[in-house]
Amino acid sequence: MRRLIQKVLVANRGEIALRVIRGCRELGIATVAVYSDADRAALHVLHADEAYRLGPSPATESYLRGDLILAIAQRVGADAIHPGYGFLSENAEFAEACKEADVIFIGPPAAAMRVLGSKTSARQAADRAQMPRVPGSVTGLASADEALLVAAEIGYPVMLKAAAGGGGKGMRAVTGADDLASAYTAASSEALRSFGSGEVYLEKLIDRPRHIEIQLMADEHGNCIYLGERECSVQRRHQKVIEEAPSAVVNDDLRRRMGEAAVRLALSAGYVNAGTVEFLVDAEENFYFLEMNTRLQVEHPVTEMVTGLDLVHMQLHIAMGEPLPLRQEEVRLRGHAVECRIYAEDPENNFFPCPGEITLLEQPGGPGIREDCAIYPGWTVPLDYDPMLSKLIAYGEDRVTAIDRMLRALDEYVVGGIRTNIGLFQRILRDEDFRAARIDTGYLERLLARPQELLPDETPEDVVAVAAAIFTALQTPAVAPVVGADESRWLQSARAEGLRR
Amino acid sequence: MTVWLQIGGRRRRVELRSSEGGDATSGALACVVDGMPLAVEARLLRAGVLSLIVDGRQYRCLLDGDVVIIDGQRSAFEAADPRSLQARQGAGAAAEGARAVKAPMPGRVVRVLVNVGDQVEAQQGLVVIEAMKMQNELKSPKAGKVVRIAVAVGDTVLAGGVLVVVE
Repeated sequence: MRRLIQKVLVANRGEIALRVIRGCRELGIATVAVYSDADRAALHVLHADEAYRLGPSPATESYLRGDLILAIAQRVGADAIHPGYGFLSENAEFAEACKEADVIFIGPPAAAMRVLGSKTSARQAADRAQMPRVPGSVTGLASADEALLVAAEIGYPVMLKAAAGGGGKGMRAVTGADDLASAYTAASSEALRSFGSGEVYLEKLIDRPRHIEIQLMADEHGNCIYLGERECSVQRRHQKVIEEAPSAVVNDDLRRRMGEAAVRLALSAGYVNAGTVEFLVDAEENFYFLEMNTRLQVEHPVTEMVTGLDLVHMQLHIAMGEPLPLRQEEVRLRGHAVECRIYAEDPENNFFPCPGEITLLEQPGGPGIREDCAIYPGWTVPLDYDPMLSKLIAYGEDRVTAIDRMLRALDEYVVGGIRTNIGLFQRILRDEDFRAARIDTGYLERLLARPQELLPDETPEDVVAVAAAIFTALQTPAVAPVVGADESRWLQSARAEGLRR
Repeated sequence: MTVWLQIGGRRRRVELRSSEGGDATSGALACVVDGMPLAVEARLLRAGVLSLIVDGRQYRCLLDGDVVIIDGQRSAFEAADPRSLQARQGAGAAAEGARAVKAPMPGRVVRVLVNVGDQVEAQQGLVVIEAMKMQNELKSPKAGKVVRIAVAVGDTVLAGGVLVVVE
């Protein structure tokens, strides 16, 4: 059934809210932003047609308040809500409430979300769809004793995981039976704190796996296609840091097998809209189902670059009841794309987050560069949310070109006032193992454990000294109050210097 | 004019002189760095953004607080007159005694792990601060006694704010 969407409320913030607003505008759809107190001057608010205050800064009092968001949508006549990622994007109750209120939720139906949202029920669905998965418990473990039994059956090393998890919370790798009981308790209590459910399951730990995921699109007419894969093996503490498409190790046959398995899973769960099936892939090209993300993901731009498709446009058309615009055999992958997640954090100081004012911003551009960004000079990065500032995406005909473009763009990129992880990306992209695609989910931890190599073309120290001296001279304040306003800064500085002597 | 700097553990003396009128911070400059002459063409493009041309080689220099960024490389510097630099270096050695543990970033205090009077080991956790959905445990820089706790659970702290003093 075709339904027209004329106005979309974007229930999110940051770069993804802006990304969705841009996609809507291109299709002539009006946009509504919502914001917390910390975000009154945020970029997503400045780009929307309408904007409404949600509440105080903490997400629990603003972006997680589905009731408030739905009430605003109804009041201002929004036909649909796009949840972005995070916050309410995988909340089945919210999707259901939207449906009851006759507001289109741009995402999968609540029932499909429920099946795939819990890792344990998703694993059962994967079994039904004949999807290979890592050996382990299908249901949550009742106790540490049960964990010991399952681990003895499948063999060590094993990984404990929170059933409702995400973002690496509630996960513990265990190498032997001695450590299992304490790891079980720790993972379960962390899961309870983070997700409100202490349910934990156990899987065999795959040696040096690569994280490779399949992007899906499904419409409500029973069509489902896969748009190739993304490799997200560069991770820190189970959080993705760099993503690329395609993966350097996936050939046409493996892509087809993984894609078809992912499509089977989606169809069996009655899935509609954008989704991603995550896999671990071992050195022998075996792939194992990990979980399904029932939303648009952070790393969707690399798929957009290599397919030439706009996933947000597709989401909107699907939500309007239209059939998919292309068939599987019409999906073409071309070139290579790499994405870096730019965070407000300090890799040289224990990755401490660095909220604060952006005093200076030099953004990269040029061929093959895309920046999905939510910052501007003068904007203060609040301490209440995720530290992601922007995503930098580089595209090239092949992997090496994309990486070299990314390095060039990172050299251009300067964010002043706060610390960022830009320097870490420069290090990774120059690393021989990364350039040769010798990566797995443990790659980044190993790189960080190595001493940092010096850059080959260091700026001469004298030039650094002259630059610092000129900046200092420009900042030297006038000391004597009698100094006239028309006097040059140089004269003022000279006088100040004389007074100091 | 002359500027004294501390960069990468080295003390530098930079003389900036305009070679064709104008002021000493823009245009053609005759610089003397630690006694060695260096011809530089400088142009301030906007606040915090400077272009230097040295021997035909162009450097885009950006100022980020007390850091100069050139070609993506960050170099921290400190400007001072020679006497205060000397004074500070002298004071560095005497950093024994009470040490304040400061917040490395703004955030909210979620846990205080010690009490006044507690004996702590070096690297023992003292306070947990949360910012941007991440919790960070701040550790004691030395073994000693907690003599002051400046924050309580729920407090918002600014970067550089004192949390705990260990003596």
